[in-house]
Amino acid sequence: MTRLLKNSLVRFSLGLAAPVALLLLWSAQAEPEGARSLAFASLDAIAAALVQLAASGQLLRDALVSLSRAVTGLVFGGVLGMAVGIAMASSPLVDRLAGPLYHSIRQVPLLGWLPLIGLWLGNGDDARLLIVSLAAFYPTVLNTYEGFAHVEKRYLEVGRLYDFSPAQRFRHILWPAALPLVLTGIAQALAFAWIGTIGTEILLGSGSGLGVTMATAQAQQRVDIIIVAICASGLLGFFVNHVLVLLRRQILRWQGAHQ
Amino acid sequence: MTRTLSRLATGLTPLVILVAAWQAASSAGLFPPQVLVPPVEVANTLAELVSNGELARHLGQSLVRLAAGFSIGAAAGLLFGAAIALSRWTEALFAPLFLALRQVPVLAFLPLLVLFLGIEETLKIVIVAVAAFFPVALATFDGVRGVPRGWFEVARLYRTPLVPFLARILLPATLPPVLTGLRIALTRAWLVLVAAELLAADSGLGQMMEMGRQLFRIDVVLAGVIVSGLVGFALDRGAKQIERRATRWRTA
Repeated sequence: MTRLLKNSLVRFSLGLAAPVALLLLWSAQAEPEGARSLAFASLDAIAAALVQLAASGQLLRDALVSLSRAVTGLVFGGVLGMAVGIAMASSPLVDRLAGPLYHSIRQVPLLGWLPLIGLWLGNGDDARLLIVSLAAFYPTVLNTYEGFAHVEKRYLEVGRLYDFSPAQRFRHILWPAALPLVLTGIAQALAFAWIGTIGTEILLGSGSGLGVTMATAQAQQRVDIIIVAICASGLLGFFVNHVLVLLRRQILRWQGAHQ
Repeated sequence: MTRTLSRLATGLTPLVILVAAWQAASSAGLFPPQVLVPPVEVANTLAELVSNGELARHLGQSLVRLAAGFSIGAAAGLLFGAAIALSRWTEALFAPLFLALRQVPVLAFLPLLVLFLGIEETLKIVIVAVAAFFPVALATFDGVRGVPRGWFEVARLYRTPLVPFLARILLPATLPPVLTGLRIALTRAWLVLVAAELLAADSGLGQMMEMGRQLFRIDVVLAGVIVSGLVGFALDRGAKQIERRATRWRTA
């Protein structure tokens, strides 16, 4: 029996069974005479909402706004996080001073900063960007630090043998050795930045973006629009993550031989 | 002992410097006092919230929600993860849906759940359960799949009954990754709970901060930030402690 599972068509249709069952269950709930037909929008309504959001260009605009927010935060938080991580890994003094500060600030749940930052910066794009950057900052620091702190000793010894300058040491030994972990950090940072983007958009609910659309739709009780936005946020998250995986493979191509 | 003390001292120094700089900035009047509340005032507010029982009420409410949601989500995640790891059929059936749903940031389910469940207790417990479910299910799946095939075969060879097999082979082998998954899930659950309380709640730490924001009470908001950070720290530290104890035999 289990051999059947080797057949990709069988696997594919089995995998499709659960989502289809879920959809059937959903549309049964959405029947007009169903008790909860209001909460469960019918599949037609969801399709119509998708067509309408896509045709009016709102879906594309929301997706682009959210995406650029996440990427901007990733750039800010990622660059700063790499700098802090490298500084902490290369200087024990910085590590001892900044480490405890970093670890205590990190304990506050990300969106718990929102009320405070909202009071300081207002409930606009600045507050959101700061939270998203913070979301990207944490994992980048952690992984960059790990990467640079655990470079193999023998590589460093070879560098000493060749009388490398600090710049050469960084360029030819530290950076390539730490790169895989740095990239892991960036991948995690992207995931967190995406969560931060959607979360702050839902909570602040002004301007545009996928999360804003969800919040507005919630206020208007439009389940159909919410479903479309949820699917879009999932697909977009998957897509961006996939791009990063491909990039990683491209960048670390030289590693393939011994890993 | 002296080492831990000196470590503690170097660890606390930057925090002390930060608070001192904060105090200096606010007494020098660099920012208006509504924007940068002096640390002394935050400490006073914190003491007041503790003594009038306000903090205990909010914190207690949050922790009850966290405990309820986390146990439901983690239990479901354990069962689901083990089920798709042990049977290729359940994997083929449910893994694609699971992986697709996992792509959605958990907070994106919040508006939908508000429409379904209202903004009462159920909402918070369900969203926390959802947040805990995914990391636990994934870690359990990886953990069970990571058990070498040979161990199953040895168990079959010796006709090990199911219960001893689970208790003495499968459980110890999967424990380390599962515990890591549970710890990650706990932090994730705390994040999502605070966010959900910011959005919709009549009590809880998140709601306390949101009220503070609406009333322009930065001291209350900061007190909330500090307490939520301490809770996050305690949860993470406690989970790590359990993880270390439970997996000590591995390094021995």
